[in-house]
This record gives sequence, structure tokens and C-alpha cells, in this order.
Amino acid sequence: MTPGEQPREKAWDVEALLGDALRPIEPPERLMGRIEDTFTTLSAKAATELSDWAEELSDSELSALKDPRNWVRPVVAVSVGGVATGALVLFELRRRGKQEAGGVKRLAGGVKDLLP
Amino acid sequence: MSGPEENVEPAEMAPAAKAELDRAFESFYKEHLRDVYSYAYYRVGNHHDAEDLTEQAFLQAYRHFDRARRESDGRPLRPWLIRIAHNLASNYYRDRSRRPQTPLESADPIATKHDTEDLVAGREELRQVMANLDALSDDRREALIMRFALGMDNREIARALGRSDGATKVLIHRAIKQLQEEMADDSG
Repeated sequence: MTPGEQPREKAWDVEALLGDALRPIEPPERLMGRIEDTFTTLSAKAATELSDWAEELSDSELSALKDPRNWVRPVVAVSVGGVATGALVLFELRRRGKQEAGGVKRLAGGVKDLLP
Repeated sequence: MSGPEENVEPAEMAPAAKAELDRAFESFYKEHLRDVYSYAYYRVGNHHDAEDLTEQAFLQAYRHFDRARRESDGRPLRPWLIRIAHNLASNYYRDRSRRPQTPLESADPIATKHDTEDLVAGREELRQVMANLDALSDDRREALIMRFALGMDNREIARALGRSDGATKVLIHRAIKQLQEEMADDSG
């Protein structure tokens, strides 16, 4: 660079940086156990124990499936317990034989180990 | 036979139909667990809440999986699933009036360069790009997360965000351009 010449603006390959920075993150193994436990134990819980914000399938979610112009609002049943009961079979077989002792507190432990 | 607008809860199904649904959902769950978790993590910025969001997203998805399959007419269900996670994350912030507890830049990505100086510089660049990503508008940031962390194409992102393909292409282009400008400003 000659004296008095302005330094050239560095050309950033932002897409390459984003590819490095936003790598997929492997879910912790305990999460799978947690989800399976949730499916198998939810039937005993009241629907209100699930977060209200997880309740309804919204119009916007359906719009991700189809053209929103054709969208007809669904009839949404309200029994989360029913969902969980239905889900029991899904995970129960795989759950057998596993020594997963449930509990959010236990699952929440060791978060630091998972930090990238 | 159920109409396309009718949602039948899994527990209300005939045993054979429910068994088929459960098998399909288990496969779907295994295939997309990493996608949902990655998206949730980059939205909320910490593993604890990302686990909560992921769990809630799959519960929601299971509940409406049968209808989603019918409505999708064979199209991939990943945009629908990510849309569920997107809405849950939005509600998470709205209900709890909070932003990510851990800024995205603290994700501490590992550079792929080998030389020590390059490694240090590379990590700094990655932190810089993550900090600038965090400062983008929500829709731009989310589109980039879907593109780069989940590998979604424009059409999938469009469906997940409820936008047209063209609008999504523009959104991503502008997001990258803004990041380039911010990075140039930072280094200038």
C-alpha cells in the first residue's frame, strides 16, 4: 500500500463464516430420554401443566403445510392427556430396559458439559 | 374418512391407524430432533431452554401429526415442524418478557483453521459474525439460522416463515448484505 492510500475494506465471506458459526448442534442424549419420559408420564398430568403457549396449532403453523389461501382453521381438541396416552405406546417399548430415571432437575444438571 | 380440516387426536384413533401414526412419528422425531434442537438453541441461546422448547415442539407436533401429514400432500413436514418451534420461541419471549439469557456470540464456535494465529483470528471472526447476527432483525436472523444451521433451502424457509419464495430470497440476500456491511464497519 502506498503512503496516503486508504486501506481496502476487507472482503468478508459472510456465508462461509455463517457456515462455521451456525453449525448444527447435537441434542444431548438426556434430551431424548427426557422427551420419552414426558410422553410416557404426561397422561398423569393435568393439561394445564403443559405450557399454555404450547397448546394450539395455529394458523401460521398450518400455513407452513399449504397455501394459506386454502387454509381452514382446524378443530382443535383440548385434551393433552389424550395426546400423552396415545404417545405411551410410541416410547414405552424402547423405554423398557432403560434405566432412565426421570426428573427435570436431573436432566438439567451438567448443562455446562454440553456447552460448545 | 376424516376430512382435511379435521384433527383426530392420536388417542382417539383406531389401534391400527394409531400404531402406524406412532411409527411414522417416531421416524419423524428421530430425523428432525437435531434440527429442532439446533433451531431452538440458536433462538434462545442456552441449552436448558432449548431442551424445553424442543420437547414442547415435539409434543405439539405429535398432537397434530396425523392432520399435518394429510394436509402436506406429500410435501416435507420439516417447515411445519420448524414453524411450531418458531411460534413456541416467540411465545416464550412474549410470555416471559425476556431475551436470550446467553448472547449468541458466547456460543464459542470452533474455527476449522489449523495455524494457531489463524485459529485465534478465526474464532474472533466467528464471534464477530455471531454478535452481528444477534443484532439483526428477528426475521433476518431466523432466516439465516434456518439456512445455515438447518440447511433449509429457500422454499422450506419460505414455508416456515409464512412468506413467498421471492420474499424469502430477498430477505436472506439483505440479511447477508447487512452482515457484510456490519463486519466491514467493525474492521474499518
